[in-house]
Formats: sequence, C-alpha cells, structure tokens
Amino acid sequence: MPIVSTSPIAEFLGRAGTIASIATLDEQGAPHAVPSPFLSLDPQGRLVHLELLETSTSHRNLLRSIWFNRPVSITLTNSDREVLVITGKPHKAHVSGPLFSDYYRLVRSRLEDADLAAVWLIEPQQTRDETYAKRKSQEEALHPFHLHLDRLAVTEDEQ
Amino acid sequence: MPLASTKTHRQSAVEETIARYPDVPRFVIIKTDVQRRGVFYTDEALGLLDERLHQTTGTHIFGARDGRIAARPESLLLRDGSSIITTPTPLEENPYVVDLLDGQPWLFDAGEPVEEVDYWPAPAFYAKTSRSGVPMKNIVSARPQRLNIFPYRYCTFWNNGKGCSFCDIVEQLKKGGKELQIPARLDPVEVGEVVQEALREPGRFSSVFLTSGSIVGGKQPFDDEVDYYIDILKEVGKNFRTAKYPSQLIGTAFTKEQLQRLHGETGLTSYTSDIEVLDEELFNQYCPGKAEWIGYQEWKRRLVDAVEVFGPGRVNTGLVAGIELAGPRGIASEDEALQRTLAEAEDLARQGVSTVFIVWSPRPHTPLGQYKNASLDYYIRLTRGLHALRIKYRLPIDHDSYRNCGNHPDSDLSRLLPLWEE
Repeated sequence: MPIVSTSPIAEFLGRAGTIASIATLDEQGAPHAVPSPFLSLDPQGRLVHLELLETSTSHRNLLRSIWFNRPVSITLTNSDREVLVITGKPHKAHVSGPLFSDYYRLVRSRLEDADLAAVWLIEPQQTRDETYAKRKSQEEALHPFHLHLDRLAVTEDEQ
Repeated sequence: MPLASTKTHRQSAVEETIARYPDVPRFVIIKTDVQRRGVFYTDEALGLLDERLHQTTGTHIFGARDGRIAARPESLLLRDGSSIITTPTPLEENPYVVDLLDGQPWLFDAGEPVEEVDYWPAPAFYAKTSRSGVPMKNIVSARPQRLNIFPYRYCTFWNNGKGCSFCDIVEQLKKGGKELQIPARLDPVEVGEVVQEALREPGRFSSVFLTSGSIVGGKQPFDDEVDYYIDILKEVGKNFRTAKYPSQLIGTAFTKEQLQRLHGETGLTSYTSDIEVLDEELFNQYCPGKAEWIGYQEWKRRLVDAVEVFGPGRVNTGLVAGIELAGPRGIASEDEALQRTLAEAEDLARQGVSTVFIVWSPRPHTPLGQYKNASLDYYIRLTRGLHALRIKYRLPIDHDSYRNCGNHPDSDLSRLLPLWEE
C-alpha cells in the first residue's frame, strides 16, 4: 500500500486540465520521460498508468523497475502552473483479467484501433510539491545564501 | 489454521539464491523454483477459487504432478505479468504452498510469504457450451493471453510403446475422457466456432496456439498430422480479416514440404518442434518414438529448414530441462549437462533456431516419474545461457514469449532483449 498520503494526488488528478508524465530509467540509468495521458488513481491509492505498446521504452523500463527495484517518477502539472512530482515503485502489471479488460475498452473508446500492453499499478512512495511559486518562497526563506544580490539591491526608483 | 503459518521461521532458500544472481530478476527465479517444486493449495486458498472468475485445472493435455483431477487453480500470475505454469504437488514433495495473506493468494516457502500471486482469470467463453454440447473450455482452453487448441490428445508413438519417457499424455487422455468428457479428437469446424466465441471478449487473447500428440500416419509419415493441423488452422483463420494471425504450432519435426504446406495454406506465423533433450544418446533413450521415426540429427536439420519457411525468429525448439540429468543414464554433473546442452543450442542458434526450456515436472505413471528434476541453480544458469544465445545470434522470441506462452523462464528474460529491428 502507498506509504504517503495520496490526497494531494487525488486532488490534483481531480482538476480539469491536469497533464501527467512518467519518467523511467533505462539500463544505463538514463531517464526517459513520456506523457501518461490515462493516468489515474485507484481506490487503493495506487497510480494507474497504461502502456499501449509491448516494446515501448517506458514499458520495458517499468519492467526493469519491478524486476530490479528501481524507482519511477510521475509529474502532474496544470494550467495554474502547479506541479506535483511523485516518486513511486511499480507494484503490478495487469496483462489479463477484468481490470485489464476495463482499461482495454477505455483505451479503444478514446484512440482509434489502439491496443493495450499492460495496466501498471504504481505505489506512490513520496510526493513533492514542485509548484514554482511555493518552491521559490521556501527557497528564499530557508536558503538565503542562494539568492543573487541584485534581487535585494535598492533599485533606481527606490533611491 | 492456514498451513503456511504453522511452520517455523527460517530464511527462504529461494531468497538466498536470488541474492546470488543479482542479474536475474527475482520473479524469474521464483517462477523457476515454483515450476521445479510445484505447488500445494491450502483449503483457504482453494476457498478463494471461483470457477466463474478463475481458470481451474483439467483442460490441459498433460496431467498434474499429484495425479489428481480436481478443481484447483489452472496456474498463477506474478506481479510482473508473467505466468507460473505449475501443477498441484503432494506436500511430501516439498512444494511451495499457496495460502491467503490479507485475503490475497501468496506463495509461501517454509512458512514464510515469498510473493503475491493471482489465479488465472477465466475467459468469458468458459461459461458456454459448444453446439455439440461440450463445454467450450474442453475444446479450446486459455492462458492469460493465449488460446490453446489441443486437437488430438493421443500420441501414436505410444502405439508400439515408444512414447517419451517423461510424457503422460495418454494417461491424461484416459482420465480426461472419463472424468471431464474432453473429446480425444476435435472437430475443426467446432474449434473455429469456439475461437469465434472467444474473440468476442475484447483484449483477452494475443495468439492462437495449437499442439497435439504426434500422428505418424499418412502418405508420407506425419501427413495426417499436418493435414489435421491445416484443417483446424483454416477454420480458425476464418475468424480473422488478415491472411496471417499471431499463432504458434508445436508439432512433430516435419519435412520442408510439409512445413511449406502449413505456412502456405494457413495463417500460421511460427513453428516449434520440441527436441526435448539436446543430446543424441539421451534423445534416443528418452524419446524412442521420435528417434525411430525421425532421428536426432534429422530433427535438428528439419528445424533449420523451418527457418527458411517461417523466417528468422519464428522457429524454435523446446527442452524438458532436467531429464538430461535424470536416472542412471543421465549426465553425471550439472556443469557438464549445461555445457553440452548450451553447445547444441548454440549450434541451432547460429542457424536461426532458438531454444527454450520448460522445467521438467516429473509426472506419476511415467518412466522417469520416480526421479527428481535439477537444482534451481542449474535452471537459472540454463536461463541465462539460452538468453545469451538469443542476444549473440539476434534471435527474437516474440512467438514463445511471456505473453504467447508463459512457460519458459528463459523467454521471460527475453522481455528485455534488444530491439534489433528498430
């Protein structure tokens, strides 16, 4: 089961216009990020990511993740410039059965003649609010030595 | 009390093995060991079994390790989407135990939970009956992503007592015929109709698979077997818009002319002919019918011919791995068996023929049934060796993969083969 609260994820995914992407690691450890247009949260608090192609890089990387215990990262963004980054662990790949069939029908109802290779369930391990405005305030409060001084300098208008 | 929790705590042997092979996925090692040792279902695990939702044992061409026909899960799915094709095994043979943990089936070893599993889901057509009144699952059966057709549940090598020493097809036929009313020989038209019904379930099946016992009869030896496959594949093919459809035939080693007929007259897209053991002397010993009618070297030559017909990456052979070590005539050491097997597999691979293995599961009522299969280490090393040959000779194995078969630890590993064509 997820080890973090999934309510921020649910809230984010509940808003219209949310865009999701998933980043996975290849054999050399290079990241590979692609959109995850069908991403959702299941009742157990796991992220549901659909892989349409058996030989896609992300599907193979997800397999590598579940085989060798490597993390994946999912990023959610919206039109209000809010960003949520979720680190997760692939839990299960459904390739057959009722859950798979439901998503197969969903995919085919939205994409012409599409196929579905697997329904990946990903357990969120950590969430980070990477919304720029929030991170900026935090950075300025906690790490004042990282500022450029011109931002603090008295401007000509203020002289 | 569930059986799984009654044992004392100790480190699982499989976990120790997993730690020694960090390059081999944990799932592949667990699958291999479960296939090696079999499974025992607790009453609690069987209580979860629902024939409306899950596939149950009984439809397969081969029998169970405990010799019983009863409603047990047909096989298991692991979390990585791969299958464990395994058989119920008596407790005294030290199988894995399938028990419930928080309502979910898990594999237990020495009382400790090892891995979560799911029972194979039942396809929708399993609930239906064919026009001749036979349950459709007794005509066409299923794996998680594959349709199985076992058109002829007898092998004529047994006519003069020369069936393979590990095989219980005839024994299973007797039981299946009596207890399950499984027809010994299927009507091709009815097979086509059941496939049509199966295809009504969206997203369920990725391939059609066909195998039967060898049929030696015909103008040329095995023409009857080829003719029968062609009849069935043609009826199955009527259900598809395309001339070819993802499919695999495991048949006898046919002549090139027979292979060309199979390829040219049907939608068949891949061909497998199981040599069973990659050693001529053991082949003669354990597969006397195959040796009598075709012979070891000719079997290999016909596999190579098949690559010309079906194309590279579409032809392979299967091993019943472990029989090469069994009994007094078996190879004395696992190191030597591995070296000799992989050398022969390489001879085939360099000519375009891939080799896969199944873990030999000793069945009662077979001449080799009294012996044990090989060590887990042996199977892992064989998995790695066969996978390495596919990389070296650039041999894809899509037609016998985790999706289209699920019974080969080595082709599970090939899920991450390089994509040479891209």
